[in-house]
Amino acid sequence: MIPENIILSENKKELTLEYGATKSVMSAEFLRVNSPSAEVKGHSPAQKKTVSGKRAVSINSIELVGNYAIKLIFDDGHATGIYTWQYLQELFKGKDKIWKDYISELRKKGLNRD
Amino acid sequence: MSDIKTLAIEKLNELNPEYPELIEDIVVANKKIYLSLKTDKAKVDKFTKIKLQIEKELAAIDGIDSVSVSLTSHSDAIQAKAIPQENASGVSEVRNIISVASGKGGVGKSTTSINLAIAINQLGFSVGLLDADVYGPSIPKLVGDRQKPKKSKAGKILPIKKYNISLMSIGFLVPEDSPMIWRGPMVISAVNQMLNDVEWGKLDYLVVDMPPGTGDVQLTMAQRVPMSGAVIVSTPQDLALIDARKGIEMFKKVNIPILGIIENMSTFICPNCKNESHIFGFEGAKLEANNQKVDFLGDIPLEIDLRECSDNGKPIILSKTDSVVSKKFLEIAKSVTKKVGDESSSSKPNIIIN
Repeated sequence: MIPENIILSENKKELTLEYGATKSVMSAEFLRVNSPSAEVKGHSPAQKKTVSGKRAVSINSIELVGNYAIKLIFDDGHATGIYTWQYLQELFKGKDKIWKDYISELRKKGLNRD
Repeated sequence: MSDIKTLAIEKLNELNPEYPELIEDIVVANKKIYLSLKTDKAKVDKFTKIKLQIEKELAAIDGIDSVSVSLTSHSDAIQAKAIPQENASGVSEVRNIISVASGKGGVGKSTTSINLAIAINQLGFSVGLLDADVYGPSIPKLVGDRQKPKKSKAGKILPIKKYNISLMSIGFLVPEDSPMIWRGPMVISAVNQMLNDVEWGKLDYLVVDMPPGTGDVQLTMAQRVPMSGAVIVSTPQDLALIDARKGIEMFKKVNIPILGIIENMSTFICPNCKNESHIFGFEGAKLEANNQKVDFLGDIPLEIDLRECSDNGKPIILSKTDSVVSKKFLEIAKSVTKKVGDESSSSKPNIIIN
């Protein structure tokens, strides 16, 4: 589903997608560490990297990609993630679990959010 | 990277000493400069001009591929500026972009594209045709014209005007027999150039004749321009239908609505004995449309006239207006334009940066 409005908060740390009356809100950090880019996901599950230290990351700019996605440009220079509408919805729906998994992964690897 | 940032700010200072003060944020990443400017809402026109000027100036910096300037306004969050898709500037005044694709080669995409473009024009719309088949451009042959495009005063390439259609093809730029021996990145830049550097002007429809397959060109088109929809051309034979299915799947993945399937070479009626032969099978594309739950737009028979007109550079829809084929193309144009009207209401989102 295509959102009607894509809103970046004033502090640039929160992205809101509006689908009619429903809204999904995600933090820049959450989006950054779950970037669909090959730089993060690799080309197979085994290559997936755990991105750490992004608590302070913010989104500089948003670009539309055709009819199907947006590209988020983060202030740490990461600009290769193409977030399809479908992927954004999956992220939002699985938000709590994905976040919990991410935190435990950080802990397991001895990394942190700062 | 920070050097480029400093250089960019210096350039802005050269343009106008007030500009650096407008900078809200500047980021250099992957050979791109992202700049946001503090904007006074009341003077949007003025700032749009500044934006264009800055984009042009900064794009000239060595090692920079592109520049994206966004205008931001803090005074009133609700009326924050929405950023349109600004990648493909040459098609900014085109209302609807339709791609004609197949999957398999040799099913008659280009013949369909040109006749469809002219048919849409006959319905009263202004139409352009972009031949995106970089490796095998057919449009120059199909319209019987190989003149070199001229440049506008602004340095943009002017499309060739023929049969009331604005045309652009790589075939107008290189000799007929010279092959394009290109790797992917060259193909992508050629397609970008035909979108950005051609002065398409105001058009109701731009028909894009896609190359066969699901590769660089298709992906570039899907990412760079907001397409209104795709028309799939297939012959009724299984071999072609397998590839057509892949084409449909590709467009679904990138959220481009499928306007429908056209069955080309659907049947052959012998001019001598009037016997009908289903050379490539019977109603295969129609069945496939049903299976894929997409519309069936029509069937074009295999006719000697169609081939002859194409080879002579005068599309059948203009040279044999009363033929079955011409009438079919007009019918198809009607359903395509109607469908695009229906689809385009589900248009693109607003991006709001507070």
